[in-house]
Amino acid sequence: MAHATPQGVKLLNGFKRPNRFEKGLGAQLPDAYKKFWREWKLTKPAAVHYIPKESEWERDEVTNAIKPVQSVPFPLIDTPESHQGIWGGEAVIKGFQKRQPTKRRVPHFWVPTLRRSVVHSQVLNEYVSVVVTERTLEQIHECHGFDHYLLKNLACDLRSALALKMKRKILKSLQLGCPALSAEPNHQNEVLKEYTPYLASYTSEEIDWYGHTYLEAIRKLQNQLRAAEKVLPHKVEFRSKLIERLREAGISEAGKKDPRDSISHSDHKDADIDALTKLESSASSSWLSKINPFGKKET
Amino acid sequence: MINICKTQLNLLKSANSVQQQVRTTFVLKRKYEPLLHKTNEKPRRLRAKHFIYELVEDTQVKKRPNMEVVLKTFVEGVGDKGDVVSMKPHFVYNKLLLPGLATYKTPENIVKYSKTEAEKSTVQHSSAYAQRTVTMLESIVLAVIMNKDEPWVLEPWHIKASLRKAGFHCKEECITLPKESIEGPDLLKENKEFNCTITINKLEQATLKCRIHHWSTDPSERLPYVLEHWKLPAEPLLDRSQMEVSTTDGQQPII
Repeated sequence: MAHATPQGVKLLNGFKRPNRFEKGLGAQLPDAYKKFWREWKLTKPAAVHYIPKESEWERDEVTNAIKPVQSVPFPLIDTPESHQGIWGGEAVIKGFQKRQPTKRRVPHFWVPTLRRSVVHSQVLNEYVSVVVTERTLEQIHECHGFDHYLLKNLACDLRSALALKMKRKILKSLQLGCPALSAEPNHQNEVLKEYTPYLASYTSEEIDWYGHTYLEAIRKLQNQLRAAEKVLPHKVEFRSKLIERLREAGISEAGKKDPRDSISHSDHKDADIDALTKLESSASSSWLSKINPFGKKET
Repeated sequence: MINICKTQLNLLKSANSVQQQVRTTFVLKRKYEPLLHKTNEKPRRLRAKHFIYELVEDTQVKKRPNMEVVLKTFVEGVGDKGDVVSMKPHFVYNKLLLPGLATYKTPENIVKYSKTEAEKSTVQHSSAYAQRTVTMLESIVLAVIMNKDEPWVLEPWHIKASLRKAGFHCKEECITLPKESIEGPDLLKENKEFNCTITINKLEQATLKCRIHHWSTDPSERLPYVLEHWKLPAEPLLDRSQMEVSTTDGQQPII
């Protein structure tokens, strides 16, 4: 039975629900975007809200029994606001506090302390006012600059759509050779020398698809597909073919090519129709003109 | 001042090597760990009690260590070009790094922004703080209080004493009086203004606004007190200083 299904023999291991890259438009997304998606969503981010346990085994404090370390991560909530700012990998944690042993647990949200500050991108030559956390600024200092911070860190550690968008912008600008700094060629060369090593890990297609959310990527794909297939109505195509053939046959009503090109588009259509109706009316003896209800009536 | 900075630098070097991981946020841990699951299998479904967290530390309230940066230019009150200064991180970021006055401390930047021989020979600033003293001296109106009964000729030590009363300590060699000698007691010179020049570290020069006031040891002989007389406009004492006073009046009001 399995061979008759679209999943084929794979169904033997149980039915697998198609994911977002296996159905619909998502299946047409390029590998460059899938690579970014893996970096963004499927990579384990660095430890921010917990102290990671390095060892593989640990001893129980009470019983001294040895047991394996299985660190189950806490669920982190990325709010819409976190994508409008750069929180440096921090997120909201939803959980409970046990404030007293004899009292019921109390719901609590741990929200990072946010402040508005300015970040400076050397490559884009821009100052941007963004909502940041203290951790973001410390990471910027540790990486020696905002551009280094964005380019060094993976998408899963940036954890913000704004940061990813800026990273794509910076990478694109580096590809073009920093057009923002063209006024100072010496400085431009220094900046290029400093940041071009980061370009080595991306191809130009990957840069193009970097940092889009799933919905943005789908929109981008749709726009590409629409631009690729430009639909010309058959009406227009056949009419122009007919006129061309009439012209070849040397019929004067078909007009000449040169003056027509100078006429604007809407006029062009009307002129075509006029020419055709003229043709039809001129061949008044034709039986076709009598049938055509839209043709001009003979007087 | 520069020497002090460098000694601080050396002290801080050892501290920086034991730097901790950046964690400026809430660090939590579970109160109840979930039960172990089979290896290569999904973790068990979490119960409500597995979402009870305990705060390990809130790194937001910790004191941040100082940051080291290399100055690109002379910065008033901070240091000269090429200096490595260690200051509080928010001040460094907002006042030095964002305006482009400094860069991060890396071996390349230290070499790049170190002073060349030509720059070292042409000294423009004696110290990072000298300009601050200049602005402070130029912002005040100094009351020079002279005797109303005994004859006197104004000398640098009079200015020195008046400055000391105003909270500035300087040597007599630093004070340059106007060329015309000012003699008294002369009540026509009461509350009239003249300028003298103070030289700081034998380099920077500040123009100090001084006003003469007469004072007597006998309380009945004293002149009536004028409230906040330093805020009122005053006539120039000397013809030459008249020109200077009129030009400075246009730029900044006398405080």
